[in-house]
Amino acid sequence: MTTISAKLVCAESLYKRDVFRFPDPFAVLTIDGSQTKSTSAAKKTLNPYWNESFKFVNVNENSILTIQVFDQKKFKKKDQGFLGVVNVRIGDVLGHLDEDLNNNEHQETITRDLKKSNDGAVVSGRLIISLSKLNGNASNSSSSATRHSSATNNTTPGRNNTVRSNGSNTNTSNRGHNSTSTNSHTRSTSSSASATTSNNISSAAATGASTSNGSRSADSQRQYSSFEDQYGRLPPGWERRTDNFGRTYYVDHNTRTTTWKRPAMEQVSAGTSSSTNGNSSTESDARRQQYRGRSLPGNSEHGSGNATPTTPTTTGNASSAGNTNAAAMAATGGTTSGLGELPPGWEQRYTPEGRAYFVDHNTRTTTWVDPRRQQYIRTYGPTNNSIQQQPVSQLGPLPSGWEMRLTNTARVYFVDHNTKTTTWDDPRLPSSLDQNVPQYKRDFRRKVIYFRSQPALRILPGQCHIKVRRKNIFEDAYQEIMRQTPEDLKKRLMIKFDGEEGLDYGGVSREFFFLLSHEMFNPIYCLFEYSSHDNYTIQINPNSGINPEHLNYFKFIGRVVGLGVFHRRFLDAFFVGAFYKMMLRKKVVLQDMEGVDNEVYNSLKWILENPIEGILDLTFSVDDDRFGEIVTIDLKADGRDVEVTDENKKEYVELFTQWKICDRIKEQLKAFMDGFNEIIPEDLVTVFDERELELLIGGIAEIDVDDWKKHTDYRGYQESDQTIQWFWKIVSEWDNEQKARLLQFTTGTSRIPVNGFKDLQGSDGPRRFTIEKAGEIDQLPKSHTCFNRVDLPSYDNYESMKQKLTIAVEETIGFGQE
Amino acid sequence: MSLKRITKELNDLGRDPPTSCSAGPVGDDLYHWQASIMGPPDSPYAGGVFFLSIHFPTDYPFKPPKISFTTKIYHPNINANGNICLDILKDQWSPALTISKVLLSICSLLTDANPDDPLVPEIAHIYKTDRAKYEATAKEWTKKYAV
Repeated sequence: MTTISAKLVCAESLYKRDVFRFPDPFAVLTIDGSQTKSTSAAKKTLNPYWNESFKFVNVNENSILTIQVFDQKKFKKKDQGFLGVVNVRIGDVLGHLDEDLNNNEHQETITRDLKKSNDGAVVSGRLIISLSKLNGNASNSSSSATRHSSATNNTTPGRNNTVRSNGSNTNTSNRGHNSTSTNSHTRSTSSSASATTSNNISSAAATGASTSNGSRSADSQRQYSSFEDQYGRLPPGWERRTDNFGRTYYVDHNTRTTTWKRPAMEQVSAGTSSSTNGNSSTESDARRQQYRGRSLPGNSEHGSGNATPTTPTTTGNASSAGNTNAAAMAATGGTTSGLGELPPGWEQRYTPEGRAYFVDHNTRTTTWVDPRRQQYIRTYGPTNNSIQQQPVSQLGPLPSGWEMRLTNTARVYFVDHNTKTTTWDDPRLPSSLDQNVPQYKRDFRRKVIYFRSQPALRILPGQCHIKVRRKNIFEDAYQEIMRQTPEDLKKRLMIKFDGEEGLDYGGVSREFFFLLSHEMFNPIYCLFEYSSHDNYTIQINPNSGINPEHLNYFKFIGRVVGLGVFHRRFLDAFFVGAFYKMMLRKKVVLQDMEGVDNEVYNSLKWILENPIEGILDLTFSVDDDRFGEIVTIDLKADGRDVEVTDENKKEYVELFTQWKICDRIKEQLKAFMDGFNEIIPEDLVTVFDERELELLIGGIAEIDVDDWKKHTDYRGYQESDQTIQWFWKIVSEWDNEQKARLLQFTTGTSRIPVNGFKDLQGSDGPRRFTIEKAGEIDQLPKSHTCFNRVDLPSYDNYESMKQKLTIAVEETIGFGQE
Repeated sequence: MSLKRITKELNDLGRDPPTSCSAGPVGDDLYHWQASIMGPPDSPYAGGVFFLSIHFPTDYPFKPPKISFTTKIYHPNINANGNICLDILKDQWSPALTISKVLLSICSLLTDANPDDPLVPEIAHIYKTDRAKYEATAKEWTKKYAV
């Protein structure tokens, strides 16, 4: 790695924000969001002259140097004091850093215009910066700041040889920042990252007064943790972070979204991501909003209720005093500082994503686990209250990125640093191994955790860059995703929209999958079509062959669906129930036809229930329309000559269903599954059933029970009836997963219309959710997914209803509960 | 399946034609028919001949045929595009129904409109509140478009 020196010479023509006074400009320099230095503040000027040099280590040509200029007097006020930012890619200025090893003198001076930040406040002026590569010995120099008496080069861009790396005539003042301090521009963890080398923030002792002012302002920033700032604490679950460009953004761990805007306490849930500058309509914004609210149990604290330790206030190390941020840190995956010195030979480092890890130089190994943390699980003995300790290694190592911790009640919980989430469930245990879970209970959450812990689903080291144009996302994504190998696609996704600056902390890739799912499943491309059941579940279009390339596209779409599952991004698309069954290689049955084509379903059912001989003249064949040409297809050998009778009609219905749902799209499905299985191995996805697979791909939405209730019709019941009151009480108490399952049970899909339950569709147009009084109280509720209706017996007590409803919703496999 | 069934229905229509209706393929395409209905004598449509177009889906008879009036008609259950609101053409369809039975149902819809499940609420409103005005308009339209 290379060490460079960056000299900020001066700024010119800064914007005058106040009528009566000039700013006191100072600049903050950051490399890749990890090493941060700041200049002293110049006094009352629009043309500050700093001429301060800073040394940055571990720089490569892709490193981004960010220089932000602020008015020191107003820096602490919200949205004020910002005077502009310049981002410089080191390689653009210094070229290939490793190529010209002999040319240690290489130095470039550049002039760059200051740019606005996202708040759009006007800025003006430019910065003059000198960058130079230092030779290897330079890193031994204890000084990184240089001050030159010569001012001749401050306004002359061009080659500049006055700055040398030896720092012989420097006057250094060490502000004494230590590795555990927090600078407001980096979250606490990454500030200690920069402590790996001699990296005390130093600055020139230029003018004594301005230096002390500068450090005072830095001191006042330093006391804020990443969960608070000068305006007070952030809302619960929010964290302040800084990106590679030194810009502050806010992470909402509740919804796993990011935003540039500082959240106010009252608008906690209104998460807007960094990339919503599209020209989208209200409708698609509403969809986006709904899409963002989607989650999965085991992936986030969202809606998993008591399953998540909410206040693990201490770690296993009982002596870890001063651990005040443990709760917050546990939520963000950060590593608690303040545990004291690392053992000899250990070093703490950070991944490019800012995740802490530990290097044991004694054994030349790395680990996510902080060696200062006690590595034993304490469990209560089976018969008494004695606490047993056992090494964590008994079950073998945790999956990559996982860590085991203890709450203050000595209960073990697990931190998944990949997703920055916590769970009680041991990822090494499949749910079937857990004796406490009754066999009949399908525990989606555990399945997800188990699924995620499998080696084939671990993110590979490296990055997978995908750059697309927003307007051309389908074609661009096709080119980008098909040219890469499945292994490349399993690296950390870095999505970039052409011409947009957002860095992919999740928000960009979420936007990518959101937009792409609207494109690739759009029936206009004839690859998919809406089911006849409603106008939002989709299925493969049997006539997709009109596009001669269709099988390549299906393979691509299979990859995208696999990528979404692999990288934990949801698709805003919902397939017919039968499609999920086919993805799991399950046999489709007549009930599946209900979600595909309700009219055909009713006719087939009529055939089974009525005598047909002499009424329907059917043979074991079908006529299929191939773009106007009617082709007769045999359902079995010489089927067109075999009459359908009351004896063999069951076989006919099965064969017809098989043909209508599967056979016509066999090739397309195969191509899709080839693509999907390149990312997600077939044997892993089969731990889920078809309904769970829908949730895995599409996520679980926040379901608004008030809206649901408001747009519900009753048949045989009044809203005020005790049964109905109980029903809504049960639904309100359920978590989102169970609510989603109730929706699947009653409407065939967990999807909610964008504008809420008032737009719920049935097979014959709009159909509100309906509760009908039907059935005996010893029976389970039944559903009619075509009509979004549930038949609810008038149970005589709450407990009985809760039990019956839960069983009906959780136990019913397959769609269509007629 | 559908072709065999449609051919059979065509033969049955020729052998035993229903009263006041007729139907048959427009050209070579057996999936596209035209039908005609004589206005029932006890209705304001008496004296008119109304044409309909019939499209059979390839899934016929698992799915209902698509039937619409091509002659303009003033009726609470038939709109300006000729679409018909009739339960057996929608969720009450059964594969045992035939074109002949459907046409007879449409005849009886002309005699007895169903204003409680209207396709054209304005006509349904007049039908219910001012029957004489409804009948006069229906007769006028019949004379104008169907004679």
